[in-house]
Amino acid sequence: MRKDLIIRHIGLVILLNAFFLFIATLISGLKGESAFIPLLYSTLVALIFGCFPLLFVPRFDDLQTREGIVIVVSGWVVSCLIGMLPYLLWGGSFGIVNAWFESVSGFTTTGSSILIDVESLPKGLLFWRASTHWIGGIGIILFALLLFPRSGTSRLTLIRSELSDISQRSFRAKATDIFRIILFVYVGLTLLEVLFLTAAGMPFFDAIAHSFATVATGGFSTKNTSIAAFDSMTIELIVMFFMVLSGLHFGLLYATITGRRENIFRSPVARYYLLFLLVGVLLVALKLYVSDYTSLGRSFREAAFQVISLGTTTGFATTDTAAWPPLTRLVLVYFSIQCACVGSTSGGLKFDRVLIGLKSVKKQIRLFLHPNAVIVSKLGKLRISQEFEFFVFAFTVLYALVIAISTLIISALGIDLETAASAVIATLGNVGPGFGDVSSLGNYASLKSAAKMILTLDMLLGRLEMFSVLALFYIKK
Amino acid sequence: MKLRLKILSGFLLLVAMLIVAGGLSIIEFSKISRSVRDLLDDNYQSIQASQSMLEALEREDSGVLLLVHGNWNQGRNTIARADSVFQSNLRKARHNITETNERPLIDSIIKQYGRFNRIWEKPIAGTFKEENLTWYYQTSHQAFSTVKHSVNQLMSLNQKSMYQEATDLREKAKRAIMPGIVAILSAFIFSFLFNFFINHYLISPLERLIGQLENFRPDSLRLEAGIKTRDELKRLQDAINDLISRIKFSK
Repeated sequence: MRKDLIIRHIGLVILLNAFFLFIATLISGLKGESAFIPLLYSTLVALIFGCFPLLFVPRFDDLQTREGIVIVVSGWVVSCLIGMLPYLLWGGSFGIVNAWFESVSGFTTTGSSILIDVESLPKGLLFWRASTHWIGGIGIILFALLLFPRSGTSRLTLIRSELSDISQRSFRAKATDIFRIILFVYVGLTLLEVLFLTAAGMPFFDAIAHSFATVATGGFSTKNTSIAAFDSMTIELIVMFFMVLSGLHFGLLYATITGRRENIFRSPVARYYLLFLLVGVLLVALKLYVSDYTSLGRSFREAAFQVISLGTTTGFATTDTAAWPPLTRLVLVYFSIQCACVGSTSGGLKFDRVLIGLKSVKKQIRLFLHPNAVIVSKLGKLRISQEFEFFVFAFTVLYALVIAISTLIISALGIDLETAASAVIATLGNVGPGFGDVSSLGNYASLKSAAKMILTLDMLLGRLEMFSVLALFYIKK
Repeated sequence: MKLRLKILSGFLLLVAMLIVAGGLSIIEFSKISRSVRDLLDDNYQSIQASQSMLEALEREDSGVLLLVHGNWNQGRNTIARADSVFQSNLRKARHNITETNERPLIDSIIKQYGRFNRIWEKPIAGTFKEENLTWYYQTSHQAFSTVKHSVNQLMSLNQKSMYQEATDLREKAKRAIMPGIVAILSAFIFSFLFNFFINHYLISPLERLIGQLENFRPDSLRLEAGIKTRDELKRLQDAINDLISRIKFSK
């Protein structure tokens, strides 16, 4: 493995961070904020570390798969380390653990926060916080490829290493085309949302920050009470619309926009996914209404927002779900585990895997009844091989195992089971809010440092879909 | 890029990082020094003045009590000395307004103190007020308590502000230290990286070149040390190869 080459690519990733840090520095400088010097210093450190490898290491155009995996995993970790610098230097409630938590939560688009008073943060830092979402949304490496185009096999290897196996299969396009499609949809959705939110009366800065968070399915808001602070039905509808879009497969969105046959309306995954969301909204809204929680209209409004927010792993809030009846919370937990579609910016188990799992169960039942039958599972027109079914099964088992182990450790630290389990589910799925002490309008500030560190590990595992991280331990073998 | 430039750039970047960290620490420490000065100049002076005013008020109250008990001379002397101390400290406080709510508070102290003044300015000893403790409690002590309360409020305002400044100082100190810590850690990582690159792109190729030269056989056509960079080492390898071919050609 060529260490120099890996360092060079990580340098490029750091330069990508330096670019966004520079914009945040400019914002802070123009506003004369206290975050100016911390951001400037972070930019300089990032620039130095980003440029230095480029001086020594010549450009390589070939890249092995294992090198690609190391670059992707280290790129994420280094980005999170660089990302914590502005918080750490600014101070306030940011100690080392809190700064790391906020940075990892930003890059992995989890959206969990340790901040009690978000509004006290300078604009520059708020922009940086939102930027970490936007950079992490489509993947740090893919973003770096946009700023520093590569050619040859290295580009291909990096794209393949960044995207999960299931995601690559689902695109049914060449790796370089996937890159182009993702970028087109990602940037397009962001610009459109900024436009709509500004038109709906949201201040421009907030519109940018919220669009970055929505399209990346992040959840960081510039307000203490998240989207509820705007108290606007129009804004809620716009955010909900873009949350749903961001949770869909970007390839399908691209096909729909460009008028191709394989579009959202023909995709069984998209259909089922939207149906599941609708059923979830109906269930939660009716339960809220029956439980005398609030009026029918308000029940639907709040239920729709929360189900979509958690179901797409965004994590914005319009109400405190901790006060909701148990059944509704259970539905939300289910959506936090299921998450959105493959090929989107969302994290977690992903709806496609749930669907493949259900199809496998159906196949096994049929095989039980007809042992000699040859049954082929299909997802739309896509044939699901047995090998792929095993892969999905292995991923699901691993996912459940991580939830169980993390919950066990966090509970052992003296945190109640509801908070521990929901925090793990919310961070592993990159959702953001959980229940108990970490509910939608609460935050993670009160958790012990050890618990925060475990949760950040879960965030990274969830974002990198676990196998990339675990593969690191097998590379030498 | 030439080797000299690579090594120089490495050192320059390291120096740049340390200069920036040092510069930022200087800026932050200057802010701390300014805050300490403000803390002493603004709040501490006002707190001191308030304390002196409170002491003066207590003495004035004792002076009034002396007058009530018929000790005219002792009472008037005590009141006059205390009044002078009170007035001079009130002037200090008036000229050191630093908080937003400080001015109305001082204005009310002036007004209330004036009311208290008027009570003891009039004769007490030898009038119906002498030995009249009811008058003392209901009129003089009441006025004294009102002024005292306002002075206490002034002191508390400045104490709160001082506490806030001290808290901010702690934050500023943290901000001053952090660039240093980050610079130390960065310098450590940077040195490690620099060492790695020097070893990988300078020492190792040189060792390979030396090894190739030591094991060079007369029948070999050229020397290949696997140098991929376009620097002096590559030129050295090419020059050696050139020399080999010239020697072979001359034979």
